[in-house]
Amino acid sequence: MRKEFKLFIVLGFLTFLYFVFINLMPEKKIDFSAQVKPILNKHCISCHGGVKKNAGFSVLFEAEALGITQSGQPAIVPGNASKSELIRRLHYTDTEMRMPYKKPALSKSEIKILTDWIDQGAEWGSHWAYLPVEKVETPLTASSSSDNFIANPIDYFVATRMEDKGLLPNPSAPKNILARRLSFDITGLPPDPGHFSSFTSGEISYETYLDLLFQSSAYGEKWASWWLDLARYADTMGFEKDPGRTIWQYRDWVIRALNRDLPFGQFTITQLAGDLLPDPSTDQLIATAFHRNTMNNDEGGTDDEEFRVAAVIDRVNTTFDVWQSTTMSCVQCHSHPYDPFKHNEYYQVMAFFNNTRDEDVSDETPNLMHFNQEDEIKIEKTLDWISDFGDSKTANIFKDFIRYKEPKYPSHHFEILKNGFVSGPAMGLRKGGAAFMKNVNPLGYQKLYLKYVGKTNGAKLVFRKNSLDGKIIGTFNIKKEGNNPNGSKGPVIATLDISKETAPFDLYVSLQTSNSQFQREHLQLHWIAFLPEIPGIDKKGHAIVNNSLIELLNTKGDLTPIMVENPQHMKRKTHVFDRGNWRVKKEAVPPGVPQTLNPWEERWENNRLGFAKWLVDKENPLTARTLVNRVWYQIFGRGLVNTIEDMGTMSDPPSHPALLDWLAYEFMHSMNWSVKTLIKTILMSSTYQQSSVISKEKLAVDSENTYYARGPRLRLSAEQIRDQALYISGLLSDKMYGPGVMPPQPEGIWEHAYLGNLWKTSTGSDRYRRGVYTYLKRTSPYPSMITFDAGSREVCLVGRSPTNTPLQALVTLNDPVYLEAAMHFAKNQQREKIENTISEMYQKATFRDLEAKKMETLLTLFYESKKVFEADPDQLKDFFGLGEAVDATTASLAIVANAIMNLDEFLTHG
Amino acid sequence: MDRIEKLIAEQRLTEAQFNSRRHFIKDCTLGLGGLALGGLFNSCSTGTPKTPRYTLDRSLNPMAALPAPFLPKVKSVIYLHMVGAPSQLELFDYKPELAKLHNKPCPPSLLDEKKFAFIQGVPNMLGPQATFNRAGATGNWVSNHLPHFKKIIDEVAFLKAVHTDQFNHGPAQLLMQTGSPRVGRPSIGSWVTYGLGSENNNLPGFVVLTSGGTPDAGKSVWGSGFLPSVYQGVHCRSKGDPVLYLKDPKGVSRGLKKKVLESINEINYQEYQKFGDPEVLTRINQYEMAYRMQVSVPEVMDIDKEPDTIKEMYGVKPGKEAFANNCLLARKMVEQGVRFVQLYDWGWDSHGASPGEALDSGFLRKCKETDRPISALILDLKQRGLLEETLIVWGGEFGRTPMWENRLGIQNSPGRDHQGDAFTMWMAGGGIKKGAVHGATDEIGYSGVEGRVSVHDIQATILHLLGFHHEEFTYDFQGRPFRLTDVAGNIINEILA
Repeated sequence: MRKEFKLFIVLGFLTFLYFVFINLMPEKKIDFSAQVKPILNKHCISCHGGVKKNAGFSVLFEAEALGITQSGQPAIVPGNASKSELIRRLHYTDTEMRMPYKKPALSKSEIKILTDWIDQGAEWGSHWAYLPVEKVETPLTASSSSDNFIANPIDYFVATRMEDKGLLPNPSAPKNILARRLSFDITGLPPDPGHFSSFTSGEISYETYLDLLFQSSAYGEKWASWWLDLARYADTMGFEKDPGRTIWQYRDWVIRALNRDLPFGQFTITQLAGDLLPDPSTDQLIATAFHRNTMNNDEGGTDDEEFRVAAVIDRVNTTFDVWQSTTMSCVQCHSHPYDPFKHNEYYQVMAFFNNTRDEDVSDETPNLMHFNQEDEIKIEKTLDWISDFGDSKTANIFKDFIRYKEPKYPSHHFEILKNGFVSGPAMGLRKGGAAFMKNVNPLGYQKLYLKYVGKTNGAKLVFRKNSLDGKIIGTFNIKKEGNNPNGSKGPVIATLDISKETAPFDLYVSLQTSNSQFQREHLQLHWIAFLPEIPGIDKKGHAIVNNSLIELLNTKGDLTPIMVENPQHMKRKTHVFDRGNWRVKKEAVPPGVPQTLNPWEERWENNRLGFAKWLVDKENPLTARTLVNRVWYQIFGRGLVNTIEDMGTMSDPPSHPALLDWLAYEFMHSMNWSVKTLIKTILMSSTYQQSSVISKEKLAVDSENTYYARGPRLRLSAEQIRDQALYISGLLSDKMYGPGVMPPQPEGIWEHAYLGNLWKTSTGSDRYRRGVYTYLKRTSPYPSMITFDAGSREVCLVGRSPTNTPLQALVTLNDPVYLEAAMHFAKNQQREKIENTISEMYQKATFRDLEAKKMETLLTLFYESKKVFEADPDQLKDFFGLGEAVDATTASLAIVANAIMNLDEFLTHG
Repeated sequence: MDRIEKLIAEQRLTEAQFNSRRHFIKDCTLGLGGLALGGLFNSCSTGTPKTPRYTLDRSLNPMAALPAPFLPKVKSVIYLHMVGAPSQLELFDYKPELAKLHNKPCPPSLLDEKKFAFIQGVPNMLGPQATFNRAGATGNWVSNHLPHFKKIIDEVAFLKAVHTDQFNHGPAQLLMQTGSPRVGRPSIGSWVTYGLGSENNNLPGFVVLTSGGTPDAGKSVWGSGFLPSVYQGVHCRSKGDPVLYLKDPKGVSRGLKKKVLESINEINYQEYQKFGDPEVLTRINQYEMAYRMQVSVPEVMDIDKEPDTIKEMYGVKPGKEAFANNCLLARKMVEQGVRFVQLYDWGWDSHGASPGEALDSGFLRKCKETDRPISALILDLKQRGLLEETLIVWGGEFGRTPMWENRLGIQNSPGRDHQGDAFTMWMAGGGIKKGAVHGATDEIGYSGVEGRVSVHDIQATILHLLGFHHEEFTYDFQGRPFRLTDVAGNIINEILA
């Protein structure tokens, strides 16, 4: 919090100096973006912007600013300030007339800037962040004092700014500190002791040490935590019931993609539109779960369409939060109040995202089914048959249907006519019950597939065309659940023949039964779908293939929710929502991108895939800037643009604009979008390698380290704090991937009013997995993670804001996970001489040598503890509540370990 | 442990020296009053968090108390949220006309363009499942299910026509508690503790107490959204450690724990001397506070030591998770300076689909469980002189239909579906006009016909009583100032004293 405050002081002071400077040099050409726009944003835009356009005047877009206002005259006359109403209004003494309305007048220097700007022709300009990223030459610093400081181009930019401020860089941090800092920044774990000593002894170079760290698969696990915050990845659906969801394959995809350094462009395209790539692989489909991390509302009585729309809106907002540092959510209800994005542009972007099959159904369909080896062979055989006797197009229809059962019509589209209900995923019918679904198109396919739960035997479903007494297109005999071939209870997928229908119609379905009970439910129908007949109908073996297909469709296994685009006949139109209200639709809009950003190219597909390509086009001004700024934030704890979530006109100005653009340009060009190369470039700089000691002078001049005249010293993240404790105590499991694990947490955390407690504490090595694998329930995340500022992943989280609270101290002091780690750590030490034991423990934990004074403190703690335990050995029976008795020395060492694991040097990274 | 005091004093002095030269900037930036050089810097009102004035105290302790920007009427809030949405038609909104329509089909005009959570087709109407009487000097109406409420009815100001546009529990609870039906915004308690800090640093500033289960929307209803996580509510539990990991581990006595903490802080102090990073001082303070909290929280959570008369007054159930206990705890907490106490009592979703949620069974039990403790809370605060500096808010997330719910087309026990158009809430305490009744519904309690107030109006009023103007109390996030009341909200002057 204080950070912001100090920043304001610094910025305020800079602004002051800046105005003084400007006043001394009045003839200089006014820079619209740097000088004029900030004044307009500060004083004018809230009444003359995208939301309010008082007096028909707005300073958001050039055309509006220079255009005719309600008075019939323009407010700005380029080249003539004295004829410009805007300037006249600033000079009035009558507060009714003067602008800003009912607020203090602008300063003389501000008025002068506006006046000079208009006199110079009122040239409009773009906000810096919307201009394409150009190549930046590295500046040459004049001073030789920083010669030793320059390790790579980053340092030139940093040194130049430091010189402006009269700051000198800190010397390099000691090697042991650097080794640990690097290790946390790359792998999220303390150093490997072998690598550590190779590096500190000089056996291997800084760069070699760093490369070793990049080769570790722990790199992907560390940086995945960052990406998963953005992707709002969690193991549950959110909202009221917050039931589980199996989407961990997506988390594993992210870890793998980071480890093999999938270029950021591809990383982006695969996640946003992997399903639209030609013949997508399983991996590419799993990646699209990025946007299936939206919440799914399973609460009884909710309107699925409302929450489908909410998910689509979340996808638009998240996409702009993640790749564009732009708050699109503002534009949902009205044009952006101060950034140049128009209301209908929001819905044009939404049109790209509004055509996927997911519809907030409680089983999260469409889900990608993960088949076992045996079934994969069966699939191959089935598809071979289909392409042999049919064609590859037909085979693809079946391939998709087997893998993710689309396209289909979920039952929530049914409307009840008689004696039935629609509830959750199902439509139920009782005796004589009937329902209809509008606008169904079988495309001439003569097989209807349905997923249903039969409650009785012998009832019959009759499907008709266009009315309850329309043409019968097919009938289906219901079987009671459990009476199907594999005997299992619950829903099954079955099929029936229908007549050939090539045009859309309204489908009517009614239930016929001889059963006399009126209130008895006969079936629950989940969805229907249409497929062609499997070709080769007259060939021997056709029946077997048909059976295999039904078996494959009924196979149970792991599922991952994915994105699947609507086929042509299911396409939705996207409408502008009146003031953001989804129930009040206005004009339909085609897909499109905001005009302010890079232009659309014809060669791109007019769908999500094209949109993803637009996003990672080198002309897009925001994608690379956003990415390098956020990676920088991960390493230095502040962004080059410190409002890391926003680069719009109200964002903080970049502290090092040239460096930001240099990094962004090189990232796209010389680094070929390699995130590892980007991180390495930053870590190779002297800027990064500086010692983090803060002198009083530097604290006074630059308390927030805006100018990087010292190295970063950040508190470790929630995952890192846990992983470190387990790692140094020797408990951490290096097992990777798989379903989320449930390490011990206090009882009663998962209390749900009617769903019961589902937290099943993991056993074996799963208790000690890295934090990135901890099961994350959105309405009740793992408590110690939340305490250390991790999010609940309900929405996109751009950056965690680190806080310090007493509750954090309670976690590392008293949480059984940390007590177990302390005990294990203590037990692993040799006992020959207690001084040596303690100094080794300290060294193993902090990778620093124990200073004499600190040794004295820890040794005293050891002996005082021991005295207590020897006087009262009862305390040792179930020490730390770990279920076993220990001797006084072990207990005292565990106390010391617990203390070490709460030291500032342990909880920060250097 | 006195050294920390000295250190803080030293740091404060350095800070003061550093700041004195730029005092004008600080004052202006932080909106304290853009005095002298205002011409140059007057514009810092745009885009900066306006209310909290960060000081060194805040950096050492983010919960340090801050004065409200305007004169506050109350110091703390006790918010009683009845999770599931209690039926206004069986408690406060007396509708004799509805009785005449009992079990008759609902007129189609009432169903046009309406969306319900569970009602399908044409339901029947359901007459009031209670009898009503006038009570107190004001003669306001209350049902026979709340016999104790009669004692405090004159303290209370009713809002009879509250409305919300959400009719599912999760989104409606979020709207009520965070100002938005979607997750991601800070809760009222988070806003308030962010703005005002807490008077007692040995206790959490924003406490959450639950009975019957957690709210449907989960912990987001007391989440801090985009505010720093330190401002999220701390769930004080009835079972296990009241605050997670509060208890010292087995075998570690208080004395020994003190030694551990002293050792940690001694070493951290050496670290501070070496690195000069003020964050280390913050950490030292953090450990001191944790140590004190370990003592204070169990003390405040212990209701056993209360006199028997008090226990009886509330009807507490020792050792159980109970709304009555939570009411008593709420009083103890505000007494000790906790800023915001949020109670959730689960089980008010009276659909009638099962006895537990029927108006003639489960609902009556909920009334019984809460009536006496709520009356006791208000009387107890009053007798201690605390009522005038505390605001009590009572309500659910929406109201209930005058129709009989017919889930899946079947009419079960008497129950009502969700309804957002009109429901009752009440407030009591400092700044509240005693006995006021604001708003009225039509003759069947289906829609507000006068004095309609929105969820954002309620929030604006709560903030007003705490000394904030809800339109000026903002936090910048994603390049835009956010507020609890979003882009709406009017103070409900009709219930203010």
